[in-house]
Amino acid sequence: MNTTVVVSAGAPKMRTTPLARRFGSLVRAVAIIVALTWSLSPVYWMLATSFKTELEAAELRPTIWPHAPTLENYTALWNGSLPFVSFFLNSALTSIVTALFAVVIATPAAYALSRARFRLRRPIGYAILIVRMLPLIVLLAPLYLLLLHAQLLDTRAGLVVGFTTFGLPFAVWMMKSFIDAVPIEVEEAARIDGYPRWQILIKVVAPLILPGLVTTGAFVFMEAWNNLIYPLAFVTTLEKQTLPAALVLTFSGQFKTDWGGMMAAATVTTLPLMIAFFAVQRSMVRGLTSGAVAGA
Amino acid sequence: MERVKWLDSMVMPTIAVLAIVVGYPIVYTIILSTQDYNLVATEAARFVGADNYRKLVGDPIFWQSLRSTALYTFGSVAISAALGLAFALLTERFVGRRGRVARVLLLTPWAVPFVVVAFLFRYMYLQNGGAINALLLSMGVIAAPISWLNVSTLAMPAVMVANIWAMTPFFFLLLGAALAGIPNEVIESARVDRASAFSMIFRIKLPLLRNALFIGGLLMIIANFNDFAKIWAMTQGGPGYSTTTLVIYVYRQAFENFSFGYASAIGVCWLLLLLLFAVAYLRALRLS
Repeated sequence: MNTTVVVSAGAPKMRTTPLARRFGSLVRAVAIIVALTWSLSPVYWMLATSFKTELEAAELRPTIWPHAPTLENYTALWNGSLPFVSFFLNSALTSIVTALFAVVIATPAAYALSRARFRLRRPIGYAILIVRMLPLIVLLAPLYLLLLHAQLLDTRAGLVVGFTTFGLPFAVWMMKSFIDAVPIEVEEAARIDGYPRWQILIKVVAPLILPGLVTTGAFVFMEAWNNLIYPLAFVTTLEKQTLPAALVLTFSGQFKTDWGGMMAAATVTTLPLMIAFFAVQRSMVRGLTSGAVAGA
Repeated sequence: MERVKWLDSMVMPTIAVLAIVVGYPIVYTIILSTQDYNLVATEAARFVGADNYRKLVGDPIFWQSLRSTALYTFGSVAISAALGLAFALLTERFVGRRGRVARVLLLTPWAVPFVVVAFLFRYMYLQNGGAINALLLSMGVIAAPISWLNVSTLAMPAVMVANIWAMTPFFFLLLGAALAGIPNEVIESARVDRASAFSMIFRIKLPLLRNALFIGGLLMIIANFNDFAKIWAMTQGGPGYSTTTLVIYVYRQAFENFSFGYASAIGVCWLLLLLLFAVAYLRALRLS
């Protein structure tokens, strides 16, 4: 990607004078600084506030950096009155289990959609893609009743069911795009060497799509971690809540004026997502547009 | 490669799971939409035919939330796409370590959970002690602090700014990748033809980005139609109904009024509308 950019950047420019060029790069530099400020200052503000005392965070004239930096907001999460650790564990567990479940179920399906040639292949592929675009809100009431009858309301398992509604179709399409990228010749060569199909799958295909498995899992994890509507609707006991829902529910109580505490909680909620995000950042484009090559 | 029968059946687990967690609920929601079903009422649900749909047609809040959804969605997506494009063009020639760092930093908002985006902006929008008011006051843009999220005409734009902040990296990433994919010969020959910077962007690069813009735009339109977390955590749809989008309205009907029947009817309309977009998306994919 970078090499092409280098070539075009190094090419001679014919129309611009040195002065105009200097002016151009000055404008560009200013624009970049503005863009970086816009993107980063809210994140900085969150971090800075999380190290401020309750009093300083509520100051009428906000201080740009914490004048009396404190870790109190973070330690209060650990041993405060709210079961913050359970919130974190609930979020982590439900998101990880959803990601694992989705990848395990989706990968064989993605392989079949990519390689097999059965008659319903296309319609099934499109149907899964449409499910992916469904508004979650349509499923809200019936899923609630389904979980109620299955006695899964107010449980982590119920949340995993909810998260699966968007995680699974997404995982199918993303895994398919990774499998599509594996040249079929690799499999054919193994076939000629006399390996049975199932051994080809495990010994040849699986190692090749391992990065895809990790990326897909990370994406599903991020979406589940981000979800607010299902935990809010399906979980009634506060101890069983996920982080995002707990932030919303407890804000009216403990955090009402304690913005330092709130921002510390927000930072802890952000960290796992940041880590997952930067781990898979390179394959991001493929993930976001997976299904974009549906007809191919 | 020769056909192996059991390969085909590998789609079955996915289909079975989706049939339970998506297929069944959709059928159920259509049935619910023809019933007068109240979760907390003592009497059993009864069939009311198209009553819920008739109620919906005459419900001013439904139409208002439809308009709000359109404004929220199309406004945010258009501005985010423009900003993302500007970022992509700005960093186009960035190479090496510094360029990579700058790109990653510009992506950061994408890694912030929606609920955190909401609370972060809520804090910055505070009337007393909010960073945005402090900044605008010190620059002399406003004379007195404004309670952004509590004024019905300002709440929607304020929520949209937070949404745009969070969504811009998506377009930046997508368009950046598409820009890098433009064949070098195209740019070179335009340069030889002495294309001005303006026509280089608007006549040469933009038309080549059309596909990426279109696909990204549609994906984000669908995502924003469904956005719940940011709006709910910032305003809960208020003040009044000024930031109530359809998703918020359905949630309120279902979990504050417990009228599952009516909520389902709105959901079904919503479903049909979204299917239109999904079909448009699929058709566009086939054409591109």
